[in-house]
Amino acid sequence: MTPTPTRRHGQQAIIFVALLLFCLVLVTIQLWLFVGSLEAHLRGNRAMSIPAAIISATVFGLNAWMYFGVRRIERQDL
Amino acid sequence: MERRLQEEFPVSWVDDDYVTRREFFRFMTLASGGLAVGTAGIAAWSALSRESRSFDPVRIASRAEMRAGSSLAFAYPRSTDLCLLIRRPTGEFVAYSRRCTHLSCPVDYQPDHDRIYCPCHNGAFSLEDGHVLQGPPPRPLPQIRLEFRGDDIFAVGLMRGEA
Ligand code: FES
Repeated sequence: MTPTPTRRHGQQAIIFVALLLFCLVLVTIQLWLFVGSLEAHLRGNRAMSIPAAIISATVFGLNAWMYFGVRRIERQDL
Repeated sequence: MERRLQEEFPVSWVDDDYVTRREFFRFMTLASGGLAVGTAGIAAWSALSRESRSFDPVRIASRAEMRAGSSLAFAYPRSTDLCLLIRRPTGEFVAYSRRCTHLSCPVDYQPDHDRIYCPCHNGAFSLEDGHVLQGPPPRPLPQIRLEFRGDDIFAVGLMRGEA
């Protein structure tokens, strides 16, 4: 049975909110990484900054992928 | 009233909400990009900042002047930068900045514990590389690079310690 457009829209909205919440969690992790690596750098410990930058860039890639994925699905729906 | 409002502003509330969420998603993605760039900037700053800097050599003392387990205060590289030259009981010479990395109290050598001690908040630093042994200091003490020319001891540069 194919879902009706309204039901489909509702499902999409739920997925959208779930992705948005996930994105929020990821951004919070990035914020924590940013503050942590800044503090470590000022403390004189520089071992952490490169891994933190790599993880942060990966998280950004994931966020961008989710965002463009949502945009693509929206455009397909139009 | 509501009908009139709908006629004058024909916006679907559900869709409007959806657009707002999408914009929020875009904003979060941009914020994520900003944080990634910021963290990369800190990594670049860490990689590029220099471990050690050289200054004009300054004679501090002669070896003979210092007995084992003693210390001597001097200023380097500027006259306001107080430092401490230490001759450890083993005979080895080391020199560190005298300014505690916590709240800048002057630190002192403790020969009986073979460490550098800050009396303000009970902080202590190692004589090996200046790392923090105890107390609130957040960073190691900067180390002064020494050079020996004949019997004379010269300060030639400043090294930053790793935490
Ligand atoms: S100023 Fe040295 S421990 Fe606080």
